[in-house]
Amino acid sequence: MQFDDDVTHYWRFFLSGTLTTLWISWLALMLGGILGTVVAHMRMSRIAALRIFALGYTEFFRSIPPLMLFFGSYYGISFALDVNLNPFTSATLALTFTASSLMAEVVRSGIESVGTGQWLAATASAMTRLQVFRYVVWPQALRVCLPPATGVYISTLKDSSVASVIGYIELTRSGLLIRETTGSSFDVFLIIATIYFVINYGLSLCGGALERRFRIVH
Amino acid sequence: MSTDAEPILRIEGVVKKFGPRTVLNQVDLTVQPGEVVVLVGPSGTGKSTLLRCVNGLEEIQGGRVLFENRPVVANSKSVIDVRKHIGMIFQSFNLYPHLTALGNVMLAPMKVLGESKSVVEARARELFRKVRLEHRADAYPGQLSGGEQQRVAIARALAMNPSLLLFDEPTSALDPETVGDVLDVMEDLAREGRTMMVVTHEIGFARHVGDRIVFMDEGRIVEMGAPEEVIDAPREERTRQFFSSILRG
Repeated sequence: MQFDDDVTHYWRFFLSGTLTTLWISWLALMLGGILGTVVAHMRMSRIAALRIFALGYTEFFRSIPPLMLFFGSYYGISFALDVNLNPFTSATLALTFTASSLMAEVVRSGIESVGTGQWLAATASAMTRLQVFRYVVWPQALRVCLPPATGVYISTLKDSSVASVIGYIELTRSGLLIRETTGSSFDVFLIIATIYFVINYGLSLCGGALERRFRIVH
Repeated sequence: MSTDAEPILRIEGVVKKFGPRTVLNQVDLTVQPGEVVVLVGPSGTGKSTLLRCVNGLEEIQGGRVLFENRPVVANSKSVIDVRKHIGMIFQSFNLYPHLTALGNVMLAPMKVLGESKSVVEARARELFRKVRLEHRADAYPGQLSGGEQQRVAIARALAMNPSLLLFDEPTSALDPETVGDVLDVMEDLAREGRTMMVVTHEIGFARHVGDRIVFMDEGRIVEMGAPEEVIDAPREERTRQFFSSILRG
């Protein structure tokens, strides 16, 4: 296939856009993973108020389209708290909210996959609740969480393309800018789509490899 | 075994309810050091629940449990200290599938008792010899047969140097040909003078290894005594029915 020379001259912009997309979605996945783990444990808490809060949090952020969250965090938080959030911070926040609600469900199902027999054995051997989690439950849950967590990363990475609406220059926004500059249209979209596909398919393969690497023989 | 020694365990008037259902109804039982107490009876009569009350895995609604004169209270801080001295073996083994057999045995002594790796490993290897599995120490639970997994579970309990061992139907989930290996190990432990409470349907084991048989039905202790009394010459009609049906079957 022959691309417009004009478009391929901008490969540096495609590259930096790609790296930005990878970075912000990775950051959101990590923050979302930590926050999601906390929310998942609140969801399983013995304290009813924490359970209700966690349920509300998960259902809310899971149900709101990313576009609303980008506007909400860029304009809404800036207005409400009278601060000036830059596009990067706003986009990270919005992506983290969505990723954490998805990760909360992933972590919860991972923890619930560890049978009560494991709890009984570890508790009977005089471990505290925290020790049971740390040495027995989390290591097993992590393996169950890996495949769906790969899915969350892929979906976060795709959601990050919406950050272009608040002026954050990631891969999609880079493409749109190149398109405006060169007047090209179809070529740019084809290149961007190909890059997204290659990244996400690669993530999918990595997830599969990790899953095989950590599989437990039952 | 002398009966006037200080008992290791005292169960006094214990009541356990699951919702409206009473699973244990005023149970009294005392266990002396070195004694092997075998709990038998129909399924669902509270034998396993009673074991779980001993190490505070179940909350009780009445009475009290005293282990070495200390009250066992579920969900309290002090229950952790009690559990350090009580080993438990489960029907479904419950080995940690992400750790090797050796890792399973070493986990609690290192993380709970804070002992050093070299000390614990030496003791663990010794225990693998005792349960006749020294060649399987590096296998994962999923690679072991049921009988092997249960012997690893016994080694895991012994690694904490417990003064009381609780066996909750240890052979019920096993293939018939591996039951003997597990019972042999349990018999060795009884010979060493270990204090054991065993819930089982293996009447042969109860007769030969048990110092005392406790027959339970519907959340109560119906009768208890030496094996030849309870199994062969029961005083109660309910006990007679039970043993005649399982010894025939």
